[in-house]
Amino acid sequence: MTKCILIVDDEADVREVTKLGLEMSTDWQILTATSGADAIEIAAQAHLDAILLDMMMPDMDGRATLKQLKTDQTQAIPVILVTAKAHPSNQQDFDSLDVAAVLAKPFRPLKLAAKISRILGWE
Amino acid sequence: MTAGAPPYRADVLAIDDTPENLQLLSQLLTDRHYKVRSVTKGRTALRAAQAAPPDLILLDINMPEMGGYEVCERLKADDITREIPVIFISALGETLDKVRAFEVGGVDFVTKPFQVEEVMARIETHLQLRRLRQQLQAQNVRLQQEIRDRKRAQETFTKAFRSSPSPIAITTLEGGRFLEVNASFLALSGYTRPEVIGFRLDELALGLDMNRYHQGRAQLEQAGVLHNWELELCTKAGERRTVLLSVESIELEGQPCALTIANDITERKRLENEFISLVSHELKTPMNSMIGALDLLGTGQLGTLTAKGQQMIAMAINNAERLVRLVNDILDLERMKSGHLTLHPQDCGLSELFEQAVTVMQPMAQEADISLIVEPVVVTLHVDGDRIQQLLTNLLSNAIKFSSPGSTIWLSAQIQSPSIPDRVLLPTTLHPPPSTLSASPPALHITVRDQGRGIPPEKLDLVFDRFQQVDASDARAKGGTGLGLSICRQIVQQHQGQIWAARAPGGGSIFHVLLPLTTEITDVIDEVVHD
Repeated sequence: MTKCILIVDDEADVREVTKLGLEMSTDWQILTATSGADAIEIAAQAHLDAILLDMMMPDMDGRATLKQLKTDQTQAIPVILVTAKAHPSNQQDFDSLDVAAVLAKPFRPLKLAAKISRILGWE
Repeated sequence: MTAGAPPYRADVLAIDDTPENLQLLSQLLTDRHYKVRSVTKGRTALRAAQAAPPDLILLDINMPEMGGYEVCERLKADDITREIPVIFISALGETLDKVRAFEVGGVDFVTKPFQVEEVMARIETHLQLRRLRQQLQAQNVRLQQEIRDRKRAQETFTKAFRSSPSPIAITTLEGGRFLEVNASFLALSGYTRPEVIGFRLDELALGLDMNRYHQGRAQLEQAGVLHNWELELCTKAGERRTVLLSVESIELEGQPCALTIANDITERKRLENEFISLVSHELKTPMNSMIGALDLLGTGQLGTLTAKGQQMIAMAINNAERLVRLVNDILDLERMKSGHLTLHPQDCGLSELFEQAVTVMQPMAQEADISLIVEPVVVTLHVDGDRIQQLLTNLLSNAIKFSSPGSTIWLSAQIQSPSIPDRVLLPTTLHPPPSTLSASPPALHITVRDQGRGIPPEKLDLVFDRFQQVDASDARAKGGTGLGLSICRQIVQQHQGQIWAARAPGGGSIFHVLLPLTTEITDVIDEVVHD
């Protein structure tokens, strides 16, 4: 069955590049959300296999969105946090979060699908 | 007393109703270089004394109109003449009331006929006493003035100390016992005076990083002064504050002390960190889209590119990635310098650390046709593995960048036990000589040696500074950020170690890193060595 992934990012360019990169390298269905609130709404309706969640967003940031996602019936959906703040050297800052992985921005969109599959054991 | 020596020994006022007596006295005194004013009446004497107070008065007791006692009483009642010593003169056979003479304020008496030398001796004695008294009074006035001045000065300094908007503390250097603190210090720490004074730094729950504290203390003892020293402390309420300290070593009552002036920079740090994280986000987000877009273009799936076009895309991606590395390095360095990046030490095997570093760097080495030779020792380090990893990869990548194809790079380690003299283990070209090492606890000595063209001696100290490259054009050609070695130095310093560069014997560079081994680890080493 084909996977369905939600990209959550307030930057239109990032959404588009990520979506295109994943579409070009997989047959996954890619949905996008422009905010945390938007993401929670979509997550409740669509059958998502994973969420790529940006950390730094206005109003409701990644942390707040994650918290909300993990309290609803959406809690089983694996979340991969994407952040410009993450650097291999301060991975520890994210240790306490209930996420499948933390990806550092910038990432290569064509290599992203392989990374996600590896993280979530889809290979 | 007038300035300069007067032409006479003293000014004496002689009062006697008998002119012959006066004549005689006057003659005796004049012969001995006294200035003498003679009067025969008590009233005249009082006027003369008031008009120009003499140094001494010789006063006859039995006089008509106003007797000697009354004259004396009046002299003593007047501020101008009170201090003038009065010697009574009485004729033998006259009733001399000695007690009365002293009561009215006389200092002495002589009887006629005189024993001349005795009279002169008494006069001189009393003049001397008067001079001494005057000196004493003058000195007293001076002392009182000095006390007033000092009090004023002390008040000024006390006020400056007490009301200083910057927290100030005076502690003993040995043991760090609080001797004095000001109100701003108490406000900052949240403690009351009695909770601080007399207590040692480690007795208050200030949450100081004792390692850093001892480091600073050693620096203070060496230089006598410490500037802009950043430290975190915990207030009584448990709040963490960041302070910037300036410390001067002073001596108080023979005891070496530290005078510390603090500046609360907590708010500034918060803004700084916010800024760093904002810059991080704002720089990396557009780069994410940029690299991503270039990457997608490069696939050719969005339109076919010529070979030249592909080359241009690859170039753009390369440079964008270099920009990302630079941003990461700057942020890393900032975070380390600001103490925002704390260590997460764990037990790590050195062999594994070496292996991981080489795995990361092998592709780069292969591409440059350079062999990596690893010579680890079996030892467990209590370090932040990620950081040491970063240190090793930075040093290796640096060595690869400055090596020519076909050459070799050695990553080696040795355990330096304190019983073995440094010179045996360290190369003779050591620079700078770590003079403090001979007394140091056991350490792990890591070296990265290359066969490159080496660093000029005058640049050996500079390579760890930011954006310091032996040849700036080099770095650009090799894709370096100019921050790698600065980051290495920060990492080593965070681990209480030392790092320096030297020229390797036979050309090339050798980078030395000394990491302290804790005592528990020493035991492990011993076992390994004895096995």
